[in-house]
Amino acid sequence: MLAGRGRNKIRPPRRGLGNNDNIDFDSMWAELASSLRDIHNKNASQLSFEALYRNAYKLVLKKRGEILYERVKEFEEEWLANEVQPQILDVLSPSLLLASTGGNTITTANEKRAAGEKLLRALKQAWEDHKLCMNMTTDVLMYMDRVYCKDFRKPSIFTASMGQFRDYVLRTPLQPDPDHQISIAQVLNAVILDQVRMDREGDIIDKSLLKSCVYMLEGLYETEEEEEHLKLYLTSFEPEFLRASEEFYRHEGSTLLLDADAGTFCKHAKRRLSEEEDRCRSTLSPLTLGKIKLVIETELIKNHLREVIALEGSGVKYMIDNDRISELEMMYDLSARVDPKKEELKKAVQARILEQGNNVNNATVAATQAPPRPFAPNGGKSEEEKAPEKPINLQTYAAINWVDAVLRLKDKYDTFFIQAFQSDQGLQTAFTRSFTDFINAFERSSEYLSLFFDENMKKGIKGKTENEVDELLDKGITLLRYIQDKDMFERYYKKHLSRRLLMKRSISMDAERQMISKMKMEVGNTFTQRIEAMFKDMAVSDDITAQYKRHVAQLGDPDPKRAEIEVHVLTSTMWPLEAMAPSYNEGEDRPKCIFPSQIERIKQGFEKFYLDKHSGRQLTWQANMGTADIRAYFPEMKGAKKTRELNVSTYAMVILLLFNDLPPGQCITCEEIQAQTNIPFNELTRNLQSLAVANKTRILIKEPMSKDVKPTDRFFFNDSFYSQFQKIKIGVITSGNKVEDSTERSETEKKNNDTRGGVIEAAVVRIMKQRKELAHQKLIAEVIQQLTARFMPDVNMVKKRIESLIEREYLERIEERDPPAYRYLA
Amino acid sequence: MNTTPPSPYVTLISSDGFEFIISRDAACVAGTVKKMLDPQSNFAEAISGVCTLGTINGVVLEKVCEYLYYNLKHRDAKDVPDMEIPPELCLELLMAADYLHV
Repeated sequence: MLAGRGRNKIRPPRRGLGNNDNIDFDSMWAELASSLRDIHNKNASQLSFEALYRNAYKLVLKKRGEILYERVKEFEEEWLANEVQPQILDVLSPSLLLASTGGNTITTANEKRAAGEKLLRALKQAWEDHKLCMNMTTDVLMYMDRVYCKDFRKPSIFTASMGQFRDYVLRTPLQPDPDHQISIAQVLNAVILDQVRMDREGDIIDKSLLKSCVYMLEGLYETEEEEEHLKLYLTSFEPEFLRASEEFYRHEGSTLLLDADAGTFCKHAKRRLSEEEDRCRSTLSPLTLGKIKLVIETELIKNHLREVIALEGSGVKYMIDNDRISELEMMYDLSARVDPKKEELKKAVQARILEQGNNVNNATVAATQAPPRPFAPNGGKSEEEKAPEKPINLQTYAAINWVDAVLRLKDKYDTFFIQAFQSDQGLQTAFTRSFTDFINAFERSSEYLSLFFDENMKKGIKGKTENEVDELLDKGITLLRYIQDKDMFERYYKKHLSRRLLMKRSISMDAERQMISKMKMEVGNTFTQRIEAMFKDMAVSDDITAQYKRHVAQLGDPDPKRAEIEVHVLTSTMWPLEAMAPSYNEGEDRPKCIFPSQIERIKQGFEKFYLDKHSGRQLTWQANMGTADIRAYFPEMKGAKKTRELNVSTYAMVILLLFNDLPPGQCITCEEIQAQTNIPFNELTRNLQSLAVANKTRILIKEPMSKDVKPTDRFFFNDSFYSQFQKIKIGVITSGNKVEDSTERSETEKKNNDTRGGVIEAAVVRIMKQRKELAHQKLIAEVIQQLTARFMPDVNMVKKRIESLIEREYLERIEERDPPAYRYLA
Repeated sequence: MNTTPPSPYVTLISSDGFEFIISRDAACVAGTVKKMLDPQSNFAEAISGVCTLGTINGVVLEKVCEYLYYNLKHRDAKDVPDMEIPPELCLELLMAADYLHV
């Protein structure tokens, strides 16, 4: 660019410096050297920077840079060796020397400390002076650095002199004995470590002094290249520091474990961590932060965590039991530091959950077994009949208590989970597993949970707001999530639900629907299909009843004596009929109840009406599930009105209607009743009990008067019955939902197993149809995977089902195949 | 030492005795002058605020000062206009620049 416009001649530079071309190096160096000495003696204000700079400039220009460089280095070397080093050695007291060689010192802590601080101060001073002087020297020799050092790839004079400081001040051997080489640097390390230890023990130290010495170490490097990882701090000081810390914390950990409880331990560990963090920030280098934390984590936490968690009377168990959320939080924090999976903590908490869960289970079992059976051995057959009402309620009560207890437990751990464990995913799965474990360990959990819902649907949700109901149901659903045998639950739930629906015991249909939809979300569509079908049946039945009423009205047969009828037509596959009729066995026809003529007429009327509408269906009357409203006339009733409306079971109605035909004062025996009505004996006795034994609803009088009903007992109509209520509900004894006794239970289980068998077979066929050929292990795995949402299939059962499918030629074994495999036969 | 803040102006003196009084900021654009005036190092120049530059004559130093201001003005700007440099001064200016570490 310049050349382009170069019409004018370029003026050659005036030879301003050329006049003394043959500069005298020695005289110029002498001048420089004396100036450098002045600089080191802090006399710089007399010196002209420009003059010095010009000198150096000229020297470098005249190719004397190398000599200048060497001379300056020599000068610095001399200065450090002769002036600085002795100063440091002066303040080095013998006690410090001894301490750093590991000898036992008898000096008191104070002396040691004073000596240490003196050394630190002297070093700091020397370092700062050196740095300042070197900065100035470098400034003056800037031209040399810029031109000579760059050209010849020498470290700048500053770096070089820093290296000299390291070698001549810090690395000076203090003792002539070559075996015990010990340098100031080592003493320095020892002193710093000592100070840090004092700090840890709570003494007050001069942090800024330490910091400046650490700065010095950070400013010095092992080599002239000044690589980051070769800082003296990292190479010589840090390892020692970490080692000392390790030792310190190891010791502290074991003493703490002996003296303190877990909470204190956590607090202490936490405090130590933040202390070290502070220390790294304020006293040492931030570079060490991660490493020292690691030391604490391993020495103080990791190595002791297990013991701390298990500490008797203050460990995790104690914290859980006493809701020490903040301590648990610390515990979690510490565990998270050393182990991302938090195994120990997880284990401890899981163990506690299991323990508490099993306690609940055992308490419930104990509660259900506690009530002593009043007639133990000789009750004979009748004993079952009079299975005392109280224990049954107690059992129901126990079931609900169990659910409550589990929910409480769940609540508690949820609180911990959110407040103390930072909603940790891993812990959540662990919790869930523990809950699943103990809930499924309790074999009645499905039944109890269903009972819990039943109870709430019948009574619990009365007077609760929608939100409260919602919350309650949600809680229940959470438990359902834990239950593995969901089909079992479904069975019980259906049973309880059917009772609720048929007897109109449910308080709120909205709540029922809500429940279903929640279950649907939780377990899936197939699960609730049948339950929904039950609801549908109910709705359809209402329609049919209404239609039938209209139909009767159209017939125009206003018979005042005619009873009204309300029918529930239930799809037999959807409803747990066997649950409604406990004594009903397969293959054995249920004894048909003989209805009184006026009822029979209505029944037939409806049958005709229904079958006209839906041909090809079969109606079976389940009299045991119904209720009836009858108006009874009591001639000797006190008060104005002598009629009362009685709400009784269908059987009771049938029984009472028998007395209609009886002349007053006549009696009828139990056997006769049975003969005339064909009501199953156990149902009969139960109904008679509620009619004749229960105090408030004694419509009949029994002879002899006793609690039990025997076939030979005679019954009279109680003319003198009195009740102040107009409407009276006569419940059949034990008609409420109750815990099953063991025979019922095993029957349920058997039924359930049968269903499961079917479900398993279906699954096997489904899978095989798709795959055509599959190895045995894989098949089993897939079956289990498909079915776990409903229940945990038993492997043996799956095997048996496969066998049976082979027998029925759905599948065949593939010959000569290892591992064994099956083929689907279309 | 002197605790009062240093004067915002400094004096540059050329080899042939011309004095240029320029702002400290501008002077410090030149590395050498900056170090020279560094209050930490306490050289005579830092205390007095006067720099005698024995290798640069008045004509060149004038141009140098012009450049220092020019540099300061356009420090962060883009697309700066070129500075007029008489070709006859080029070489001497280059040497001065090397010396002053501009």
